[in-house]
Amino acid sequence: MRSYAGQRAALAIVQLAVLSILVFVLTALLPGDAADMRFTETLTPEQIAQLRAQLGLDQPALERFTHWFGNVLTGDLGTSLISGGPVRDIVKASVGATLVLTLATLAVVVPLAVALGILMGARENGRLDRTITSVTLALSAIPDFVIAVVLVALFSLKLGWLPATWVGGSLLANPVLLVLPVAVLLGRTVCLLSRQVRAGTINALHADYVVQARRLGVPRRRLLLRHVLPNAAVPGVQELARTGDTLLGGVLVVEAIFAIPGFATALVDGVETRDVPVVQGLTLVLAVAALLINLGADLVCNRLVPRTELLR
Amino acid sequence: MRARTPLAVSALLVLIPLLVAAFGPLISIGAKPGLPYEKSGFLGTDGLGRDVLSLLLTGGRTALGMALGAVVIAYLIGGLIGLIAASTRHRWVDEALIRPLDVLLPLPSLLVISVVAVGWRASPLAITLAVAMVNVPTVARLVRAAALDAASGPVVEALRMQRESWAGIHLGYVGRAVLGPVAADIGTRITLAVFLVASVNFLGLGLSPTAPDWAVSVSRNREGLLLQPWAVLAPALLLVSFTLGFNLLADRLVHRTRRLVEAKS
Repeated sequence: MRSYAGQRAALAIVQLAVLSILVFVLTALLPGDAADMRFTETLTPEQIAQLRAQLGLDQPALERFTHWFGNVLTGDLGTSLISGGPVRDIVKASVGATLVLTLATLAVVVPLAVALGILMGARENGRLDRTITSVTLALSAIPDFVIAVVLVALFSLKLGWLPATWVGGSLLANPVLLVLPVAVLLGRTVCLLSRQVRAGTINALHADYVVQARRLGVPRRRLLLRHVLPNAAVPGVQELARTGDTLLGGVLVVEAIFAIPGFATALVDGVETRDVPVVQGLTLVLAVAALLINLGADLVCNRLVPRTELLR
Repeated sequence: MRARTPLAVSALLVLIPLLVAAFGPLISIGAKPGLPYEKSGFLGTDGLGRDVLSLLLTGGRTALGMALGAVVIAYLIGGLIGLIAASTRHRWVDEALIRPLDVLLPLPSLLVISVVAVGWRASPLAITLAVAMVNVPTVARLVRAAALDAASGPVVEALRMQRESWAGIHLGYVGRAVLGPVAADIGTRITLAVFLVASVNFLGLGLSPTAPDWAVSVSRNREGLLLQPWAVLAPALLLVSFTLGFNLLADRLVHRTRRLVEAKS
């Protein structure tokens, strides 16, 4: 058990190192740097060269990488080329909205998906199962932004019940703002997750030990919650980690549509203005978050069902 | 057995957008701006004054072509890696092929694609390659897992004893055994790829904002949804029809392979 956790954590550290290199290379490949982007029309070439030297953009890539990586290890993500402030502040300023959005979505998605999945799996091929399956199948085929556009048109523009965009203030203080974004994010994640939980439930229900438990007269509720759920949850938890990616993509789109000043908005701005340190910092934080979620999911699965050999 | 959507319906859902995308550009006169913003014509005009119908006819090639191309490339690369990893008899080859992909898995895909899209100035080829690369790790793992089952069975041993060639065994037998799960996966993967491409374009990081692409049209015309709904709904419907059709086909395949497995055991 401990050795599994140790091995898995070691893999995570290797992943982290490789990821930071990848993040750096990927963003360093962006053609045109912040100096070009800003002042090509107002500055002379000499001034641009001076600016570039001042921003440290004239150094060779390897040197910039070691400098950046050393700073990252000490928790310093660098300075924004555009605003001049530390990247850490930008991360801090934007992480709140994204976190609230993600957690609010998860708080709705996880119980809903588990409940739906068990409900469907327990009555395999029943009428309820078929209905929910068809609905989730159809819903998961609609891109986030289409749902968003239609919901905004319907509830904000036509009916005027809910705000269409973020209007300032904190998301937490104004939960109404969260309704539409979370509803948009809900669609696909619930569909993907509940289908996994359903498959897990069906597999577990057909397993020999459940058949035996049933034979011994274990009550149905206890059977489902105590014996089936932990096993059924494994594909669900793994899917949840993978859904993180889908969810993140969704959050990016949703933030852009509802003008929520979160991670995605900061990122899109950073990419557009070639503010490389900001993009690197944000990407790195996101990649680390994704990595930790994956690590957590694997450890939880190992805890739920110790026999799973996730790490060959 | 549960009642299922007829095959014809799923096929039609996929075929309509596909045909529009493939042959639309041949019929269309091109989506030129400057027409008055009104409901004239079959579907009216959009915010830039382009005829929505010609927009639809020209916009599918990028929306679907990039996604389909990405999935094909992802399977060519990822599938080959998976097959080699599953069929090698040297464990280190397997490790060397699969481990690096594990490292790539947690990279947020929309992020990678956005950076690439902006970096290469929205070249459709670069976006397609980025979407493909993001999918390679999962495809390789899936193919490897499916091929391991077949490659470790007695049939492969028998073929090996009959001195069949490597390609004969692995591409002929193992490759065919993998086709079932792969076919089911392709359905969902195409949906995902369409979403990724569409999301990047929708965010304005991909193709230029005046491109006739379906996702770009949805993005551009969303403010006018109540005034001119078809400029948004028509491209959105074509996208949804395509992904829904593929989802239904994939669902059908999953059930068929499961039934085959059950029948065998």
